[in-house]
Amino acid sequence: MRTSTSLLLGGVALLAALPALLTAGLLNAAVQMLIAALFASAYGQLAGRAGMLSFGHAAYFGVGAFATVHAMDALNGAGLLPTPLMPLVGAAAGLGFGVVAGWFATQRSGTAFAMITLAIAELLHALAPQLKSLFGGESGISVMRTPAWGFNFGSTTQVYYLTLVWVLLSLALLYFHTRTSAGRLTLGLRENSHRLRFLGYDVHRLGVSAFAISGLFSGVAGALQVLANESANYVVFEAHVSASVVLNSYIGGVGVFLGPALGAALMSFFGYAVSDATQAWLLYQGVLFVLVMMFMPEGLVGLGGAAARRVKQLGASRAPPLLLLWLLAVLLLAAGAVFLVELLQRLCSQDYRALARAAAGWPPVTMFGQSWAAVGLATWIWPLGLLAGGGSLLAFAQRRLQMKEAQA
Amino acid sequence: MSAPILQLQGLCKSFGETEIIRGVDLELAPGERRALIGPNGAGKSTLFHLISGNLPPSAGKIAFQGREITGWAPQRINRLGLARSFQITNIFPKLTVFENIRLAVMRKQTQPTAFWRRVDRLPGLREATEALLERVRLQTRAKGLAGELSYSEQRSLEIAMTLASDPQLILLDEPMAGMSGEETDYTMELIRDVTAGRALLIVEHDMDVVFRLADRISVLVYGQVIATDTPEKIRQHQGVREAYLGEEVAGEVAS
Repeated sequence: MRTSTSLLLGGVALLAALPALLTAGLLNAAVQMLIAALFASAYGQLAGRAGMLSFGHAAYFGVGAFATVHAMDALNGAGLLPTPLMPLVGAAAGLGFGVVAGWFATQRSGTAFAMITLAIAELLHALAPQLKSLFGGESGISVMRTPAWGFNFGSTTQVYYLTLVWVLLSLALLYFHTRTSAGRLTLGLRENSHRLRFLGYDVHRLGVSAFAISGLFSGVAGALQVLANESANYVVFEAHVSASVVLNSYIGGVGVFLGPALGAALMSFFGYAVSDATQAWLLYQGVLFVLVMMFMPEGLVGLGGAAARRVKQLGASRAPPLLLLWLLAVLLLAAGAVFLVELLQRLCSQDYRALARAAAGWPPVTMFGQSWAAVGLATWIWPLGLLAGGGSLLAFAQRRLQMKEAQA
Repeated sequence: MSAPILQLQGLCKSFGETEIIRGVDLELAPGERRALIGPNGAGKSTLFHLISGNLPPSAGKIAFQGREITGWAPQRINRLGLARSFQITNIFPKLTVFENIRLAVMRKQTQPTAFWRRVDRLPGLREATEALLERVRLQTRAKGLAGELSYSEQRSLEIAMTLASDPQLILLDEPMAGMSGEETDYTMELIRDVTAGRALLIVEHDMDVVFRLADRISVLVYGQVIATDTPEKIRQHQGVREAYLGEEVAGEVAS
């Protein structure tokens, strides 16, 4: 308990210190990471704890975003809702829409539930471009952050702190929910809703409440995105927004409270860092998702637990070298795979094929700031070598593990 | 005799062409322990599903404490004071044993679905949960997952969850199935103990248990109650002997 508390305080302190450590560009990325983390946590409340797999969570994020953009436009920072309190509008909109959509969706469970959530999100996605006055059409709706409470919200730092405060508050409330009787019943809903009914609980009402709470915090995340971008566009209703939150949450691990948040933060950081450098970012995201589902169904947060179990099993002196070996093998394999994907992606691109036709041969490609011959051992030895090296290292680590297990 | 706590009138249930329950009339007095016996496929579990609201009847009426509850949702029936267990263990396998019972006990709180109060601060909840755990002898297993309990321990957990709502009528569907002799004896004493002052309707295949526990026995054969009487009379009942017990079993019980 004490270690987790100090870890938590350390994490919060680090987040609070980030503006002093990062450049404005990275700080902007940190704002997006925080928003993605909150959105994924709201999703985790539904998918992880209530056991309801929603495929259309962009709807609640988007409704929160558009409610906020209209409220900012209408109130202009006046009245009871100055800029820092705007996420309350997103929360109310997410909650309201969550109650309505949840009332329909939670009539069913499993696949039917997932399909209803997908349909509701697609309905909004199809409707939004038609309703220009409400959703602003192609160009979206732009607003200004009005100064309030002595802040002008002109700098990235102020936006960052505004986002951080709301995200931490929301995560604290979501965590508190897991400790309440409603939160415990949510787990019961996931485990065996049939039995709950015969214990006297109205299962549909419990389902709607779990759904609406998830909608509420999704709405807060949508509102924060509007505050950060000073605009809202109907692309927030797109299916890939719903898909990302599913993938990010499961990559992080929905079984642990902070799993979805960490997964989303990590993936949006990679997205920021890597998406300019590669055109295959979506492929990497998908491959990572598949690998996590295949080899670590508990998500990346499960790795910590697995490592701790190994240390306990093999002893503090024998486990770390093995874990390091394993890590090195995974890194080598990843490097080999990335090299291969990037090379193939370049060779298969239309530009390259046009070039190849013009040159009637195989011109070299540019990759990682270097020129590589398209055909030739000097190029292909790299990915193949990395993959072979990583693979044999992994096999070696596995053998060592079995040996030590036998000894232990 | 006082007004019946449970009254079934002309209850029928068909699945498509198949009639499972074919006009059941049954009355249960408050505080009575009634066993429901009958061969496999007689419709005992289906009758439980009808009474507890898991399935809607095709025809007929169900009244509980003089109030018609035909077609009500399970949770409404449960809140009136009618709790049941299931033939196939029906628990929350990935939650702790403690949590399983706590979820059941929580229903008695004034605001069981409160999202503004911590569950460990709810008055009396922990004490009530621990008391039930002790009653079914699961206190040492409280922190383990319910799914990791032995089969008979899971049956005990079922009984505890059924009792949690302090019901006036308890339906137990084969609570002793899969238990050892010692466990059966303990569970029977437990059921006798906890149903004091309550009505009980129990389906059980262990005839020894049935004849020792029940005040009266109803025999269900092909969806109809062919006899209801005291254990002694049921033993002597010619129709029951032929239809269900078989001479061999009846002789064994009588001896």
